[in-house]
Amino acid sequence: MSLLSIRDLSLSFRGIHGVTEVLHGIALDIAPGEKVALVGESGSGKSVTARIVLGLLQELAAARIDGEVRFGGEDMRGFSRQQFAANRGTEISMIFQDPTSSLNPTFIIERQFAEVIRRRNPGASREDCLRIAGEALAETAIPDVERVLASYPFQLSGGMNQRVMIAMALVNKPKLLIADEPGTALDVTVQAQTLQLMRQLTDEHQAAVFFISHNLGVVREFADRVYVIYRGRIVEDGPTEAIFADPRHAYTRALMAAVPRITGMGLPDIPERSDSFDAPQISHEGGS
Amino acid sequence: MSQLVGILVRRIGISVVVLIGVSMLIFAIARIIPGDPARIALGPNATAEQIAKLRGEMHLDENIVIQYGFFIKDLVSGDLGTSLYTNRPVTLDIAQFLPATLELVFLAGVIMVGLGLPLGILAARFRNKWPDHLVRALALLTVSAPSFVWAVILMLLCAYYLPLFPIAGRLSDIYEIERVTGFLTIDTLIAGNVAAFLDVWHHLILPAVALALSGIGQAARLTRANMVETYEKPYIEMAQAYGFFPHRIARIYAFKPSLIPSLTIIGLDFAAMLGNAFLVEAVFAWPGLSRYGVNVILRKDLNAIMGTVLIIALTFLIVNIIVDLLIAVLNPRIRHSTRVQS
Amino acid sequence: MRALRIIVRNPMSLLGLILVGIVVLSALLAPWIAPYPDHNGAVVDFLNNNRAPSLKNLMGTDLVGRDILSRIMYGYQISLVLGVIVLAIATPIGTLFGLIAGYRGGWVEIVLMRIVDIFLSIPPLVLAIAMMGVLEPTLTNAMLAVTLMWWPWYARLVYSIARGEREEGYVVAAEVIGASTWHIIFREILPNCLPAIITKMTLDMGFVIIIASSLSFLGLGVQPPTPDLGSMVAEGARYLPDSWWLTVFPGLSILVAVFGFNLLGDGLREALEVQS
Repeated sequence: MSLLSIRDLSLSFRGIHGVTEVLHGIALDIAPGEKVALVGESGSGKSVTARIVLGLLQELAAARIDGEVRFGGEDMRGFSRQQFAANRGTEISMIFQDPTSSLNPTFIIERQFAEVIRRRNPGASREDCLRIAGEALAETAIPDVERVLASYPFQLSGGMNQRVMIAMALVNKPKLLIADEPGTALDVTVQAQTLQLMRQLTDEHQAAVFFISHNLGVVREFADRVYVIYRGRIVEDGPTEAIFADPRHAYTRALMAAVPRITGMGLPDIPERSDSFDAPQISHEGGS
Repeated sequence: MSQLVGILVRRIGISVVVLIGVSMLIFAIARIIPGDPARIALGPNATAEQIAKLRGEMHLDENIVIQYGFFIKDLVSGDLGTSLYTNRPVTLDIAQFLPATLELVFLAGVIMVGLGLPLGILAARFRNKWPDHLVRALALLTVSAPSFVWAVILMLLCAYYLPLFPIAGRLSDIYEIERVTGFLTIDTLIAGNVAAFLDVWHHLILPAVALALSGIGQAARLTRANMVETYEKPYIEMAQAYGFFPHRIARIYAFKPSLIPSLTIIGLDFAAMLGNAFLVEAVFAWPGLSRYGVNVILRKDLNAIMGTVLIIALTFLIVNIIVDLLIAVLNPRIRHSTRVQS
Repeated sequence: MRALRIIVRNPMSLLGLILVGIVVLSALLAPWIAPYPDHNGAVVDFLNNNRAPSLKNLMGTDLVGRDILSRIMYGYQISLVLGVIVLAIATPIGTLFGLIAGYRGGWVEIVLMRIVDIFLSIPPLVLAIAMMGVLEPTLTNAMLAVTLMWWPWYARLVYSIARGEREEGYVVAAEVIGASTWHIIFREILPNCLPAIITKMTLDMGFVIIIASSLSFLGLGVQPPTPDLGSMVAEGARYLPDSWWLTVFPGLSILVAVFGFNLLGDGLREALEVQS
């Protein structure tokens, strides 16, 4: 049974200039412990999908959401604000694009960690929080745990903050970790280390990962299964190897051609629009 | 800690420069204006000898730079000259009237911060919902009238029609309180007179609210605007994604970063209160510095005018230094300018 | 034009536009539409003095029998003229100061902005009061005093924008092709400051009215018998609570005018933000 199951999800925004359709009925499954990537360009609808799972978009009066989202078998359609909030930070956690700006600049790490730990364990004392946070940070191979806990985010490097974010995301043993373009704001080597660390720790914690990225190269390193999204529609899905070995949809092929290769001739552009991109979804066998 | 001392020293240095500038500005205004200050001061019936004598005392026959030098020399030794209105040293007058004004302005400042910030938080938390609309409309209304209008309206409603508060003054006539600090809230306590202490507060509230009203509106508007901006920051989305309670996000996570830019402006609003105290004191017959200021202005009492303006500028600068220190305490970026690791 | 449409669509800004319209029209048309057009000066009608509001005098009459509504309309004339003239002088001075300090940098910036700091370190009303203390209380001098305290705020506003623009690509590009300093300041940087300046001017119309009425409330501004909203409140305050109309109507008329300008200014700011 899947941990997260999305069926026929559509989303539109009411604005000054009328209704903008963002998602046109997408379907997606993540099994427990599975690492699933949702790949597409910016504006394709991948980040909003993650925010619907968290229940954040449901709070916007302008957003119209249809379709089924099940988490742990439970239909979230009728969820109240409190029910969504109860899952956040406990069963589902999230890692953001830029770790440094995702941490509050006016509080030390310890304080922010305690805030997260108390989501699962409201009565935790300061000592409990310090101990739990210390253990979580030690898992990420941070050398000087006490000093990091006593620091403000701007006193730490981007890579260090990224580790802090990962430790925070996993400290409450969530079943699902949403990673929205993790580390894109960091340099390439730090990004690679981050991904490796995330992979290792989610394996140890048996957490499923919903990985959102525009970078197929990164996805190939990380994900078990891939969904390719184009303008609010899933165009191709399947096991990572199958998709990379045999990309069948025109858009997937265009996206792959855009991945810079060491021997390549620079970065080919993806055409703005092509009729072939709107071809129906292709699913590879071997998926869940 | 050492950073705070550094900030303090630097701010005091800048303030001294600004204060010298203010003294030059006031001096220039007072001396470059047409007419003979001595004749203006002594009135139309003065004899030529009297005028000549006063001109000598005021060093009016020297050139302007030397006049300024004399002024500064006296100023540094704590001598602001003699008031032609009260015939007493200006410093003595100021010492007598300043506490009443400070008491009023400080209470108004506390009311401004104590009501303005929470209202701003409330509006930002319920952005574009009815609490927001209500706070914004009320805040805009309060900043849309000078404080003398609010003073008159409050006096009419809360002192005349509903006799909840006294109409004027600082203390009822039945009490005699020995003057120690000049702050009646403190002096009544020193005298151990609880009834008089309560009476002082009873007199303080209405003028302080009248003075604070537009400040409350300003503070609420400002806090709301800065918090709305903070709500767009990734760390607020992170807090939401981790299910922190919305009220906690508003009160702690979004408020603290928003307060830092707000504080500077709140310091300026406090300054505006020092000016508006002139208006409120006039309405409530409050025996403070502002009333003294208006009286000396109407009598063209130059020494007293300069003394009053300088002391207000000084108060304002001290408040700004306190605000800057507060910002440094709240903003870790200023306190810790070093990186632990990279 | 788009900005205007956004303003009209927002009920609050529309209210502001309407209030400002009423204030401006009643000021402009006062000689024709005021119930007692000759009551703007030293007219005396002791038979009708200190009357409560009635159909004959909608807002009552003052101590010498003049119609308060008519005097408020003339009071608006004084307030608006004063506001327009103060802003028309203070804005260009402050803008020029801010542009030069922001663009040139270096010691020019330090000296100019320290001067601005000095002005800003005296509470605005106190500075104006001090000036009126040594000058004769006339309309011209009140304008002078308010202008003197007003320009530094524009200097600081424009300075903060200009300093940001100094590093922008288009300014650097203009420097590279050898454009003159004045060209860069007026043709390249100034247009980027204009929306902020215009918004501030709208909001400031209200504040100038507040400061000017405060001066005359203290007896340091426009002198009787010229009708001024601030001195009308001061005059009537002595006759509270019985002759409440002497203070309440002039006081509320200040509120209405300033509220209108503030609503309009807020709407303008939002409209310009949407546009950019």
